[in-house]
Amino acid sequence: MMPIWTKSGKKHAVTLLKVQDCHVLKYVSKEESGGKTSKLLVGGKNSSPFYKSESTMEIFKEAGVPRKQKVTTFNVTDDAIIKPGTPLYAAHFRPGQFVDVTAKTIGKGFQGVMKRWGFKGQPASHGQTKTHRRPGAISTNKAAKVYRGKKMPGRMGNVYRTSLGLKVWRINTVHNIIYVNGSVPGHTNCLVKVRDSKLPTYKDCNKNPPFPTFFADGDEKLPEDLYDEEIFQFTDPSVTY
Amino acid sequence: DGKPDRFQPPPKPVIIDKLKQIEERRFLSPEFIPPRGRTDPLKFYIERKDMIQRRKVFNIPEFYVGSILAVTTADPCANDKANRFVGICIQRGGKGLGATFVLRNVIENQGVEICYELYNPRIQAIEVLKLEKRLDDNLMYLRDALPEYSTFDVNMKPVTRLDSEVPVNKLQVRMKPKPWSKRWERPKYNIKGIKFELPEKKMREAQKWSQPWLEFDMLREYDTSKIEEKIWKEVSEALKK
Repeated sequence: MMPIWTKSGKKHAVTLLKVQDCHVLKYVSKEESGGKTSKLLVGGKNSSPFYKSESTMEIFKEAGVPRKQKVTTFNVTDDAIIKPGTPLYAAHFRPGQFVDVTAKTIGKGFQGVMKRWGFKGQPASHGQTKTHRRPGAISTNKAAKVYRGKKMPGRMGNVYRTSLGLKVWRINTVHNIIYVNGSVPGHTNCLVKVRDSKLPTYKDCNKNPPFPTFFADGDEKLPEDLYDEEIFQFTDPSVTY
Repeated sequence: DGKPDRFQPPPKPVIIDKLKQIEERRFLSPEFIPPRGRTDPLKFYIERKDMIQRRKVFNIPEFYVGSILAVTTADPCANDKANRFVGICIQRGGKGLGATFVLRNVIENQGVEICYELYNPRIQAIEVLKLEKRLDDNLMYLRDALPEYSTFDVNMKPVTRLDSEVPVNKLQVRMKPKPWSKRWERPKYNIKGIKFELPEKKMREAQKWSQPWLEFDMLREYDTSKIEEKIWKEVSEALKK
């Protein structure tokens, strides 16, 4: 995470996400998948092909791509279908766009009710006998049972969670890095799924992104860094009022 | 001889430029050295590029904890839209773009400390009025010292030095009577710049909290010499361009 300053002098914290060897693996049509839209399987970081069975490696062989550590599905409209085997780059996103980021949260193991659900616990002194971090009462007298889904101690973390509506401030086309506002679930160097935001406020926010995706061998030559309009670039002189 | 020999040019004179010899002293700002951790070195490389870019446009001088600085920041609420503060640097923290330094001064019998970010674009100028080092890396004990040790003239003129070595001020500061904000006599702070006027018994009692095994702990060692060499080469070459 890094600080970033706007032209008015305000500071924002930014997470760096690297797009590492992403390829489109497979196209699944609407009838095949049984959903409302067709799907595209996309694979992430490269990894060794020797530790998986032949049946799982079939998808990668058909696409002509080394084995990927993570495979995710994206729901796509019919005009945005991409041929399997095309690489995907960070320039697929543009600064000023809003994005949802999904990842597995940091695993905390078996945790008590105060850390897991934010319960208040009991006071530290004034006569409390052996009760400082316990949940207290778990149900009422009339119910005569404990409801399903009662918040209790258990395993916390290592679950997929999404941060919604994060602004993209800057894109580095040489190293394929996306600068995303705020924090993102997951530990450092973990695998993450980045998708256009589904929030209703940002429905019409996409300012001419490359459609269906950014092709590296195309005619467009992008500069090394793409900045949002409001960002303070370090080539400018200091901010004055 | 009959045939003239090939013209031998006279040996070139070796010019020793004394000014250049002084500049040979290396100083790498501490925020360039990456902390020990599992972060990708690519992140530090990209952050360093941004820091070098900022340093090309805006001069950040060499200074240490204990030097007296004057910082002018852009302020929308001030009269001239600029704010000048003079103080002694008591602490330098943070790595990368978020590096900070704290300046302390006593103005009209009120102690004032301001924490500035080195790479904040609102900073218009940083001038070093007096460049010197002190016996400690952290001068937070000046809060509990007599106010005369923290007062500096706001209209001070910059002090020029001729020698290349940075002078170490071996000043031993006298403290206000206890209680202090922290127990500075304890060995964990390892302070050499205070003249303790406490009784012998208190000093011996403070040594009870010493942890003499810490200096032999090999897992705590972080040898930065090779990293510093690499980064110094990279930074000096980039700044010369």
